[in-house]
Amino acid sequence: MTADRIFRGLFALYLLAFVAYLFAPLAIMSAAAFNTSRFPTVIPWQGTTLDWFSAMWADAAMWQALWTSAIVAVLVAAVALPVGTAAALVLTTLHARARSVAYAVMVSPLLTPGVVIGISTLILWRQVGVGGGIVLIVVAQTTFIICYVMLMVMARLQRFDRTQEEAALGLGASRAMVFRRVLLPFLRPALLASGGLAVLQSVENYNTTLFVRGFETPLTVFIATKVRTGLTPAVNALALVIIAATVIGAIAWEIARRRQVTARPRS
Amino acid sequence: MSHSVQLDGIGMTFGSTRAVGDVSFTVQAGEFFSILGPSGCGKTTILRMIAGFLEPTEGRVLIGGRDMRGLGPNQRPTAMIFQSLALFPLMPVWENIAFGLEARGMGRAERRKRAEELLRLIALEGYGDRMPGELSGGQRQRVAIARALAVEPGVLLLDEPLSALDLKLRQHMRAELRGLQKRTGVTFIYITHDQSEALAMSDRVAVMSNGLLQQVATPRQLYDNPATPFVARFVGETNAITGQIGAVGGGMARIDTAMGPLRGRADPHLAVGQKATLYIRPEALMPGTGANTLHARVSRMDFEGAFALVHGQFPDGAALTAAVPSTRLSDAPAPGTDASFFFAPEHAVVLADA
Repeated sequence: MTADRIFRGLFALYLLAFVAYLFAPLAIMSAAAFNTSRFPTVIPWQGTTLDWFSAMWADAAMWQALWTSAIVAVLVAAVALPVGTAAALVLTTLHARARSVAYAVMVSPLLTPGVVIGISTLILWRQVGVGGGIVLIVVAQTTFIICYVMLMVMARLQRFDRTQEEAALGLGASRAMVFRRVLLPFLRPALLASGGLAVLQSVENYNTTLFVRGFETPLTVFIATKVRTGLTPAVNALALVIIAATVIGAIAWEIARRRQVTARPRS
Repeated sequence: MSHSVQLDGIGMTFGSTRAVGDVSFTVQAGEFFSILGPSGCGKTTILRMIAGFLEPTEGRVLIGGRDMRGLGPNQRPTAMIFQSLALFPLMPVWENIAFGLEARGMGRAERRKRAEELLRLIALEGYGDRMPGELSGGQRQRVAIARALAVEPGVLLLDEPLSALDLKLRQHMRAELRGLQKRTGVTFIYITHDQSEALAMSDRVAVMSNGLLQQVATPRQLYDNPATPFVARFVGETNAITGQIGAVGGGMARIDTAMGPLRGRADPHLAVGQKATLYIRPEALMPGTGANTLHARVSRMDFEGAFALVHGQFPDGAALTAAVPSTRLSDAPAPGTDASFFFAPEHAVVLADA
């Protein structure tokens, strides 16, 4: 009885420590956005203010960086989704030996350090006269973000009933129609999820982007530069907005998903 | 509209495995034709070669007299119903049914109208906007049939479509399939491992074993005149009594067995002295003695209503099964006793051992 109680106490303590470890930095960082102090800190608390939010809002360089990141993210997703899906489709039709070789080749960018991808992309494209900039950021990020798309689509494809494809062909459908009417609707959840993941991966990437950015300043680079040139709680305000947007987005997604599930109870 | 299907010496070899070897037969237009055999006998391979999912490594398939070599499944006048049905789970029922029409470029309004007609045909009016997952097994079955019929195929290929259903529904769907085939006049090629299904539904049946064609015949001929020992044992219950051919003549043969000489119908080409087996159906055995008499020790009797199945052992250890009609149950031997059964020679078949 007592041993059980001690165990449960320890377990609760561990859980508390675990959650604190995860969320304490975020909590402190978020709180600092409301402190009047010129540096992002909660101690000493010099007074509560929303000024940093308006400062952030008024920061033209921040908006420029956000815009650059958004363009890059959309382009990365636009390239990574079709290419990653195609790679997944090819891999699932290959036979055992060829498949494991092709698989290893295709996931290797995930295992390569981001810095290496950044530098090697820059060096390669220099040879043909393409310097750093949006194009190279997209190229460099896409090389490894494709892998995420491919892995997620592959996981979904493994549950695809191949006889559906045969049934469609047997009814006279062309390959294109099979893809559009049967395969694509089946892959939709995986495509949506990997598209979202591609955008997130792109926006948060720093180490690869840094080498290929040229004169562009995406959001991560912008924040990192701020650390050197004088960080103000305006960055905390920005972070809080991003966190809030993410949480709201996730909740909205989940609500939409549950609605769909209850609307179609057995399908 | 319906087409004949001719298999001209087709064979299929996967790597070093020969799945189907040199099979030839012709299915007439408008026929209900079954391919019967145990699992792994090559029947599904044959169906897939007719559908165009597999290209035969030898021979050719002709549908409606046209050589199908080089034509993919979407270019053949066939439609297939899969064992798993393979309905499209993310499309409502009516879109499933009209899928083949969509592939042919028919407009949406017309497709919908056609789908409603087919829903009426399969008695599922008003189900068009449901999703396949919301239907019962039997309803899904019917949707799969409607989807295949929607493209007005010349040949409908069915790959054990009833095997997932429970017995009651299966029997109901058998009658429904048969009725549908008669109404539409489409050639049906039906794959099954269930011999009673094949016998009950088909105009003709092809029996397969180990990739080889054993016999093509009407259900009646198959049952009464099996061409090979495999067919004799696989189609229906039978008693097999081994021996040696003693005499041949007049469409009959005498076979000398451990129980003495027995007579049955036989191919005149049998040679005296050849090892052979006499096959006799349980319902052809009558308790008592006569010209062809068998002796066995009765071990068990299962009363099944219309008749009782008497089980026992012949002196050589082979199993005996006799079906005694309920009206003659008083003649049936008691379990644990030695009993005699006789049969008319025209009810027995003598086949050379393979």
